[in-house]
Amino acid sequence: MTTTLPAARPAAGTARRPVLRRRDTATAYGFLSLPLVLFLVFLALPLLVTLTLSLFSWDTFSPPRFIGLANYREMLHDADVGQAFLNTLLFTIVTAVLHLILAVILALAINRAVSRVLRYFLRTAYFFPLLVSAGAASLIWLYMADPSFGFLNYYLGKLGWHHPPNWLLDQHTALPVLIAFDVWRTLGFTMVIVLAGLQAIPKSLYEAARVDGANGWHQFRHVTIPMLSPTLLFASITSFVGAFQIFDPMYIMTQGGPGNSTLSVVMEIYNAAFRDFRIGYGSAIAVAVAVVIMIVSFVQLFLSRYWVTYERS
Amino acid sequence: MSAPDTARPRRRRRRAPVGWWIANAVLVLGGFVMLAPFLWAVSAALQPSGEAFALPPNWIPRHLTLDNAKQVFDFIPFGVQALNSIVVTTLIVVGSLAISCLAAYPLARLEFRGRDAIFGVLLASLMVPTQVTVIPVYLMLRYLHLIDSRAGLVLPALIQVLGIFLLRQHFRSVPRELSEAALIDGAGHLRILFRVVMPSAGPTLSALAIFTAQQYWNDFFWPNVLLTSPDKLTLPVGVYSLQNLYGTGSPTAIFAAVSMIVVPLLILFALTQRKLTEGMALVGANR
Repeated sequence: MTTTLPAARPAAGTARRPVLRRRDTATAYGFLSLPLVLFLVFLALPLLVTLTLSLFSWDTFSPPRFIGLANYREMLHDADVGQAFLNTLLFTIVTAVLHLILAVILALAINRAVSRVLRYFLRTAYFFPLLVSAGAASLIWLYMADPSFGFLNYYLGKLGWHHPPNWLLDQHTALPVLIAFDVWRTLGFTMVIVLAGLQAIPKSLYEAARVDGANGWHQFRHVTIPMLSPTLLFASITSFVGAFQIFDPMYIMTQGGPGNSTLSVVMEIYNAAFRDFRIGYGSAIAVAVAVVIMIVSFVQLFLSRYWVTYERS
Repeated sequence: MSAPDTARPRRRRRRAPVGWWIANAVLVLGGFVMLAPFLWAVSAALQPSGEAFALPPNWIPRHLTLDNAKQVFDFIPFGVQALNSIVVTTLIVVGSLAISCLAAYPLARLEFRGRDAIFGVLLASLMVPTQVTVIPVYLMLRYLHLIDSRAGLVLPALIQVLGIFLLRQHFRSVPRELSEAALIDGAGHLRILFRVVMPSAGPTLSALAIFTAQQYWNDFFWPNVLLTSPDKLTLPVGVYSLQNLYGTGSPTAIFAAVSMIVVPLLILFALTQRKLTEGMALVGANR
């Protein structure tokens, strides 16, 4: 990535460049010193340490013991970890799909909403849950879904469903409730991104399609979706990576239960390291999680060439 | 949406008003459903504990009371915790923006050995999810005696690679002639950073600020792991601790605490909505 001085520069400018480069190195590292130190201390080094720790058994009281790949072997047989991965994968896939579908529908609707006031209200309503911490929002939902405190089952009863489950205490419904919670809370973010992508589509493309005789649906399929595909890819990857790291709602609402049905992988890391004092094991789980996330992200990026169209300039 | 149709080239341009109004009505209803949990929480917080959880809920309170809010202050140092949240978030935002600018400037504007390698490593780190570093960072903070301290919350958050990336993109777009002119005039690079390159970075900086603020204001995991004294806690964990203190019985105090966080946020958001959502879209679109 070399830069060239503008051609109009006199020779004096070119003669100065080698000197600049030497001076620049010192200056550059001067600027970079603090950021790089922080990066090394809080990102690079910890990454290496986690990898290393995963090969040890350590409870922070006695000295660490090298055990090689034993943590990983244990992980493969650990039913809880397996359940956590399953739960998290299910959670992630369902929320990602829901995010994409709902965000597109919402963005389309908001884009053509009747009035500014309406648009303003819709944007506020759908985006606001994102601003409230998962902690506060989870507590509200915790009581909302409770049969004796909350109105959820009450209104369901009015609609005809007379014995709705105790949502968060039933192992078949706990995870779906958490899925609903996450979509409710973070849909705004996906929607805003899709909306921005939607508004970036040149109107001329729609005009051209209309002239060619395309109706609404055709326009959607052949103009909107392709032009939106990079945005959708980004939303999909972000959704996935974010959902895979879900922790707060599970911790606050169900603590992983009932019966491990809402156990997430990050909860397992937390449990192993901060509850059971098994640093090595927790690190091994963390490594496994990172590997899974990176593999899936790469797969998504790889597959994207088949359905994502980028603008030809 | 109508069925795919190619046999009818001429189609009414304008959408049928009725269909559109229905769609809009459904959306507005959806909007209220989205806000319903908050409306319920605020309304319950203002009611005496006997009535707060009546079924059907009294969406409009019959009797107003501020007792629940007062109770919050009895259980937890809410004011201090709010202050902690504000201070920690501000420090993180300001600090991380400064660090990101410092890092972005040489990466964008200077030529030096190792530049591409460093940038490559930074970029690669974006792919690494955060939990991989949680355990060692915690151990490190413990070693530095920063457990149960606000500094322990702020320090690891100062390095925001996304911020470095976005600012670098922006800094690259500032014309070379400007900084070269400044160099000729004898300006040092720090001054160039401040006077030449940063002034135009307003939108990017504020978008980043908003994005980072939202992330760390709401952070639950780290304060939960790191902080133990009630008067060091930040709001998310403080409110959660009410749950443990209060346990069974009418959780009106919890709802009061939640409302005291939610209502100011709602007002703030309503006022700055456009800027906020555009800011977050800017960050998202640039990744």
